[in-house]
Amino acid sequence: MAGKIFIALDRLRSTLDKLCSKIDLLAPASSQGNKTGPTAFMPYRSGVVPVLDRQTTLPLKKILLPQAETLLRYEYCKDPQDPLKAALSLDDRSEVRPTLVFGARPCDLKALSTFDRVFTSGPYKDPYYIERRKNTLFATLVCREADGACFCSSVGSGPADMEGSDFRITGIEGGFVVENLTEKAPDLFDSLGEAPTQDQQSEAGRIIEDVSQYRIGTLDLRGNEEAFRKRFEDNEYWQKMAAQCLSCGICTFVCPTCYCFTITDESDNLRGERLRSWDSCMFYHYTLEASGHNPRPTKLNRYRNRVGHKFSYIPEKYDGLLGCSGCGRCIRNCPVSIDIRQAAGQLKENVCDRQ
Amino acid sequence: MNELHKLVEEALPELDMMIGWAESSDPLRTTPVFINDVESISRLIWSPFCAQNLTGYLVKPPAPQPADKDKKIGICVKGCDSRSLVALIQEKFVARERLHIFGIACRGTVDWRRIMLQVPRSNVKSARVEDNFLLLEDTDGTHKLKLEDVLARKCLRCRYPNPVICDTMIGEPAVLRISPEDAYRDVEAVDQKSLEERLAFWQSDLDRCMRCYACRNACPLCVCQDQCIAETREPRWLTQRTGIREKFLFHMIHAMHLAGRCTECGECERVCPMEIPVTLIKEKLNKIISDKLGYTAGLDPNAVPPMLTFDPGETGV
Ligand code: SF4
Ligand code: SF4
Ligand code: SF4
Ligand code: SF4
Repeated sequence: MAGKIFIALDRLRSTLDKLCSKIDLLAPASSQGNKTGPTAFMPYRSGVVPVLDRQTTLPLKKILLPQAETLLRYEYCKDPQDPLKAALSLDDRSEVRPTLVFGARPCDLKALSTFDRVFTSGPYKDPYYIERRKNTLFATLVCREADGACFCSSVGSGPADMEGSDFRITGIEGGFVVENLTEKAPDLFDSLGEAPTQDQQSEAGRIIEDVSQYRIGTLDLRGNEEAFRKRFEDNEYWQKMAAQCLSCGICTFVCPTCYCFTITDESDNLRGERLRSWDSCMFYHYTLEASGHNPRPTKLNRYRNRVGHKFSYIPEKYDGLLGCSGCGRCIRNCPVSIDIRQAAGQLKENVCDRQ
Repeated sequence: MNELHKLVEEALPELDMMIGWAESSDPLRTTPVFINDVESISRLIWSPFCAQNLTGYLVKPPAPQPADKDKKIGICVKGCDSRSLVALIQEKFVARERLHIFGIACRGTVDWRRIMLQVPRSNVKSARVEDNFLLLEDTDGTHKLKLEDVLARKCLRCRYPNPVICDTMIGEPAVLRISPEDAYRDVEAVDQKSLEERLAFWQSDLDRCMRCYACRNACPLCVCQDQCIAETREPRWLTQRTGIREKFLFHMIHAMHLAGRCTECGECERVCPMEIPVTLIKEKLNKIISDKLGYTAGLDPNAVPPMLTFDPGETGV
C-alpha cells in the first residue's frame, strides 16, 4: 500500500490526461467547460477543467445509480406464418467499465455507505449496483471547503473521513499529495508523478491532522429513531416544518443518499426497454395507488417521510447508520430555504421552531 | 417597529393568514412565513433577499384548510409578484375581495448563485445592500460587490418594479433600471444567433435538466400541479428516459401552457438547481404575443388573456 505521489497544481491536468488513458476517469467539472455554473462528476478527457475547489452541485449518485438505467431490452418478433404469434427476446446485458472518481468528498462516500447497505446487504441484492460498485474506485479530497450548509460531523462523519475511499487527496501548498489507502489498485498513480518530499509529506500530515479536528455542524443528528416515532403524529410540528414546501423534488434529486426509484417499460411498438429511474418521495404520484387513494396526499406527509426515512427508518434497519451524509445540498438548493437540520434536530426536543 | 410590521398589525384582525418573508438560516436567502398571531409579526422582513414570489401559495396553500374562509389573506408582493396576482384574479383562482395586498416598491432582488460566482466557497456571516453595493461578510472579511452583478436577471430587465395592484403600499415608488424597449433584450440576443447556434445553446442548457419539476411547482400559474401531463401515465406524453427530447418536450409543455399567461416573475428560473434560463423560453412566447396581439400579461384584472378566449375576427395572427 505504498503509493504516494505529489501532483503540482500546474501538472494536474496533464496528470489526469495520463490517468484517463489507464482507466475511465470521472472528475468534478462544469458542463459549461469553465469554472462557472453547476458542477457534477463528468467523464474526464483532455481539455476538461476540473473544479476541485468546492463541493459539486450534484452528488456522485448517478455514477452508481443512473437517473435512468436500462435493466433490460425486449423485442417481440412476429411469426410471419401466424401474425398472432410473437416471440419475445430479452437482452439484459450491461457493460460496466473500471472507473476512478477523482475528487470525491467524504460526504459523497458517506452517502455510498448508505447505498451499500440498501443495495448489497440483502435480502434483495441489486446486481446492477453491485457490478458498478465493484468496478469503481474513489480518490477523495480531505475537505477544507465546508460552507454554512455543511454538517458532515453531525451524521457521524467528518471532513477528513476516508471510509470507503481508495485514495486520499490532500491539497497542500502548490499541489496535491495523493496516497493509496486500499489493496484495490495500489499502484494506479505510481508512474504519474514523483513521490512527495519529506516536507510535503509532513505538511499533508499536518493538514489531515487539523481537518480531522474540525467539527462541521453543531448538532448530533444520530439516535433519533425513537424521537421521530414519538413525533410522527405531531401534525403541528410537521405543518410548521413543511408549510413552505413546494413539493418540487429538488431536495431528493440533489441528495446523494436518496435512492428511491420507479420501474417503467418504455416501448416503441414492438420493442422497448425496462427502465429504472429516479423517483421522489416529495412527489404526489410517488405513493398514488391504482385505486386513486394516496396515503401521503399532502406535502406534510411527504416531508415527514423524507425526514423519517433518513433519521429513523434507515438507522433502525442498518445499525444506526443515517440516510443523510450531511452534505447540505438540499439546504443550499431548496427554493424556500427549508433546512433539514431544523426538522431533524428538534425531534428530541419539545419545541418546533421554524426559523 | 418598522412600517411593514405596523401596517400588518393594523390589518391583522381582518386576516386569516398573512404571507410574507422571514429570515432563514442563510443570510443570502429568506424563507416564506405564514402568520396569524401578533407575536410573529416581528419575523416579517423586506429586503433584496426576498426573492421568492409568494403568490403561488394562494393556489398551492401552505395548510390543508384555511382556518376562516370568510377572512382575507394578507400577502406581500413586489412589483413582479403583483402581476401574478392579477393573472390569478383574471383566471378566477383567487377572488380580489379575499386579498389584502401589501405592495412593496422594489429596487431589485439578489440571486445568491451570482454572488457565489464571485465569492465561491464563502461561509457567509451577514449580507446587506447599501446604495448600489452588496456588502457581504464571510470568514475572509468583507466583500463589496456591485449590485448589478448580483441582481437576478429578471430584476435587470424589470418593467414593473412597483406593484400594479395593491391595498397598502410600502416604500417610495422605485424607478426603472432600463428603458421598457430593452425588456426583451435577452430574448433578442438569443434571436440574433444563427439557427445552429441557437440549437446548440438550448441543447447544452436543457441537457442539464433533471426533470425535478421544480420550475413547474414553483410557478404560481402552473395550476395543474399533480395533474400535469408531463407525469400522467394516460395519456403518455413523456417517458422516464433522460434524453434531450424528453427534457425539451417538458419545457415546451410548460412554456406553451404559460403563453400569454406568464408574467415573467422568474420563479422558474430562480429555483432551477441547474441554472437553466428557463424563463427565457416564456419571454420569447410573450414577446410574440405582445408583437402580434398587443397583450401584456398581469396588468389588468378585467382583461382576458388572449389564449383563454376565441375571437373569430382576430387579425394579428
Ligand atoms: S427542495 Fe424544498 S421546496 Fe422542494 S420539495 Fe424539497 S423541501 Fe420542498
Ligand atoms: S438529506 Fe440533504 S444534507 Fe442529507 S445527504 Fe441528502 S442532500 Fe445531503
Ligand atoms: S427546475 Fe431546472 S432541472 Fe428542474 S425540471 Fe425545471 S429546468 Fe429542469
Ligand atoms: S413560467 Fe416562470 S416566469 Fe412565468 S409565471 Fe411561471 S414561474 Fe413566473
